[in-house]
Amino acid sequence: MLTLAYTTLALLVTITARTIPDNYNQERRALLAEETLTSVGGKQKLNDEETRANEILMKLKTNELNASYFNPQHFNFSKHYFSYKKDIEKSRVYQIIRSMPKGAVLHVHSSLMLHPDILVKLTYEEYLYACYTHDSIKLQFSKATPARPCANKWALVSELRNNSSDPNAFDAHLRDYFTLYRENEDYDYVDINTVWKRFNKVYYAIKSLITYRPVREKYWYETLKQFYNDNVMYIEVRSGLPDLYELDGTKHGKRYLVELYKNGTDKFIEEHPDFIGIKLILTRDRAQSINHVLEAINVTRQLKAEMPDLIAGFDLVGQEDLGRPLSDFIPILSEAKEEINLYLHAGETAWLGTSTDENLVDAILLGSKRIGHGYALTKHPSLMSALIKKDIALEVNVISNVVLSLVHDVRNHPLATYLALGLPVVLSSDDPGAWSAEPLSHDFFVAFMGVASKRADLRMLKQLAINSIVYSALEEDRKSRLFAVFYDRWDRFIKDVISNESYRDLEVS
Amino acid sequence: MRYLILILFTYVKCDPDYFAKRNRIVESELRIALGGNMSLTSKENEVNNCLMRHKFDELDYAFNNPDNFGLSHHFFKYKDNIPKSKVYKIIKDMPKGAILHIHDMAIIGPDYLLNITYMDNLYVCLGKQISFLFSNKVPNTTCENRWELMSEVRRAAKNVTAFDAKIRKQFTLVVKNPDIVYPTIKETWTAFGNFFSTVHPLLTYRPIWEKYFYDALKAFRDDNVYYVEVRSILPNLYELDGTVFEKIVTAKAYKKAIHKFMRDYPDFVGAKLIFAPNRKVNRTILSEYIQTARQIKNSMPELFAGFDLVGQEDAGNPLIEFVPQLCAATNLNFFFHAGETNWFGTMTDENLVDAVLLGAKRIGHAYALAKHPVLLEMVKEKQIGLEVNVVSNSVLSLVRDVRNHPLNIFLSLNLPVVLSSDDPGAWEADPLSDDFYISFVGVASRLADLRVLKTLALNSLKYSALDPAAKTLAITHFHSKWNSFIENFDCRSY
Ligand SMILES: [Zn+2]
Ligand SMILES: [Zn+2]
Repeated sequence: MLTLAYTTLALLVTITARTIPDNYNQERRALLAEETLTSVGGKQKLNDEETRANEILMKLKTNELNASYFNPQHFNFSKHYFSYKKDIEKSRVYQIIRSMPKGAVLHVHSSLMLHPDILVKLTYEEYLYACYTHDSIKLQFSKATPARPCANKWALVSELRNNSSDPNAFDAHLRDYFTLYRENEDYDYVDINTVWKRFNKVYYAIKSLITYRPVREKYWYETLKQFYNDNVMYIEVRSGLPDLYELDGTKHGKRYLVELYKNGTDKFIEEHPDFIGIKLILTRDRAQSINHVLEAINVTRQLKAEMPDLIAGFDLVGQEDLGRPLSDFIPILSEAKEEINLYLHAGETAWLGTSTDENLVDAILLGSKRIGHGYALTKHPSLMSALIKKDIALEVNVISNVVLSLVHDVRNHPLATYLALGLPVVLSSDDPGAWSAEPLSHDFFVAFMGVASKRADLRMLKQLAINSIVYSALEEDRKSRLFAVFYDRWDRFIKDVISNESYRDLEVS
Repeated sequence: MRYLILILFTYVKCDPDYFAKRNRIVESELRIALGGNMSLTSKENEVNNCLMRHKFDELDYAFNNPDNFGLSHHFFKYKDNIPKSKVYKIIKDMPKGAILHIHDMAIIGPDYLLNITYMDNLYVCLGKQISFLFSNKVPNTTCENRWELMSEVRRAAKNVTAFDAKIRKQFTLVVKNPDIVYPTIKETWTAFGNFFSTVHPLLTYRPIWEKYFYDALKAFRDDNVYYVEVRSILPNLYELDGTVFEKIVTAKAYKKAIHKFMRDYPDFVGAKLIFAPNRKVNRTILSEYIQTARQIKNSMPELFAGFDLVGQEDAGNPLIEFVPQLCAATNLNFFFHAGETNWFGTMTDENLVDAVLLGAKRIGHAYALAKHPVLLEMVKEKQIGLEVNVVSNSVLSLVRDVRNHPLNIFLSLNLPVVLSSDDPGAWEADPLSDDFYISFVGVASRLADLRVLKTLALNSLKYSALDPAAKTLAITHFHSKWNSFIENFDCRSY
């Protein structure tokens, strides 16, 4: 697609409207207009400058999509994300989306936010030991050889790196433990369990690196920087609050990490005053016992009482098909929701009529403020009506759903239907670090080009960004600050697009 | 200790009606869905229990072992395992009503076509692509190699089995490694196009055509299908001496074959024809097509059902190109292919708009409909039948994991759905049972049961082009077949 993207192809057919009966044309136009009006962004009004920017954007979009429409073998979005990932940069539509203010990220997991290239840099910290087995890695910071068992043997990463013939290759190999992305591997038809096993391995490798307190501080700073540079001004982060440790073995409890997030973010805001901040959604693995989940709820309740601005709510995470259904937790969750807002993962499944997709029923009945994924929702018309009535937002993560084997050709992603129905949708990225994606721009790009209608334009992009602010857990004053920052950046973005020399040839005279 | 107390506390605090509310929602969704307000007799309930026990066994195993869930892969990867399924065996025996979307050239599979190559007077051109032609002398049409008598080529082959296997390959899209052979829709449709070019001259030899359609009807009946509306480009039939006939002759051949079949199998309800020429033509040729349609309708009104346009929708002309002419053709019923695409907001996708506005009686595929809420309402209100062909959409590269097929949305909204099979011969599927099985187990809700199957079968008659009296008869006929299926059902035999 991208190699051909720059040749404008004339439409195959020129439709001579004159020969079509007038009333037919009217009816047709009215019908299409109604569909646009119904869709996400359909009611947005663009000012003159936005209209000009939109014309540029849509010319580029149409060119790129026509090239693939007529050459479907080059339509990369029909293939796995990994097969076209490195070409995304070349798209001119992507360049615009990358520089566009995108509001907030509302669905992302704390350990898997950072790009693996930067994780590798963090392994240059002193005292890092590694335990390699054939397909996994354990890391630990320690003054002496770690006492934890290792199937192979513990060795200092610095020594391994120095002793390797090619430190770059050593780092590249190390990076592979931190990401599912492989440039030259056919990832096309891996089943969901296999991919989740690989995913969990990546998660444990990264976790073993970033539970060391000094690394976690750097990790957090770097993460915020990447999101900020991707034009994201506020984040709601899901975290299980693992214990951190020091070199001498001292352990820190959950509250310590919460404070680390807070202090790290405050420091970042000092340097970047237009960044609004973060909130935490505390999580527990859904495969855990009811007592463990209850314990996590109690921790959430306690931390929320102490830091109400920082704690947004609670969620259950992990591979949904294999974990416990929400219905197992009804008593404790319905009690918890009196005090704590729920932001539940639900319906992250391709199955219909199973315990997993019925999690959607429970998420709605439990008053979840937003729903993570909701992939199965299009198959549940009455739940969709309930969602609209209660104005529950869907946190949609298209690339995640591809990588984690729910859908192959993104044009079959249910987001297309959500957008057409004008559901309250926010786009997010789930675990962008785990598949070496940009914090949010890749998800916006794939959703805009691969999933949404060819006719979907700047109004939809703007609405999606606005939705991420509207449906955030922010209290009113910070929400209006975020809006102010967003509109300010948006105006500058629009001016940049229409004054960009390289788009001159596209402007409508 | 603190947790214990909390748990007790929370149980008290939990909404006592929670699970009642929850059940109401789940049940109401099932009631709204297709088949939801059908009630079953007690004997039907027994059959349903047997069916659902086997369905749950299959699905619960797959839920826990998704790596072994065949239906999430390409059809070619699991098609040979389907006959082992008990659910499939039940569906196979079940009366399924009618097939309303099938193309005449691709009804019966490659073994049948291979047999045809054993007939006399068949010439073959072994070029990069193999071509055939029946003739009483060496054909003078171009051949990149040279025309030879098939019988002689076969006799000269060192290994006839290997030779026949090679020939058979020309008559099917099935391969062992579909993900490599068909990476995108482009490669699939190229192979599909080649399939038709190869098969066309084999089947359009007049004596074969008449026999072929008779045998196709037999295949439908064997799959427990008793009525069919077949789409045809009405290929021009030919004789050994090179005589080529008008399209009307092809239509007459249909009539003759149907007539003969009905005489031999009086329990068969019948067949009708939808004239469905290629959409990749200009307006002048389209006018000729409309003329032909009218001509057939006038001379064989009981045979002729209506008009459609075929061919890869993304690559052909959109309906809007022909709107002026189609608007004027008021006396024809339309059964348009539309929205057989996963492109959203393109001309192909918007064929759905035109199909609805042109008053189509049914729409072929309508794969893109779930992205068009306004059209979807109109389809429901106007009761436009949706001819859904899941296996076709999977083989022709629209969807991989059938759980992502929009049929499940159509079912949950109780849209006027009929299941069909499009070109089952080209991918070695049953006339209808494979499509029913995959839709039932792979696409529909795990909770969808016999009521869904029965409703789908009834829909195929309800949305057929039969006139009201004939429709009533066909439905009565279906019920008698259905009742005997239920009466004779023995769970132990599966
Ligand atoms: Zn998630
Ligand atoms: Zn068809």
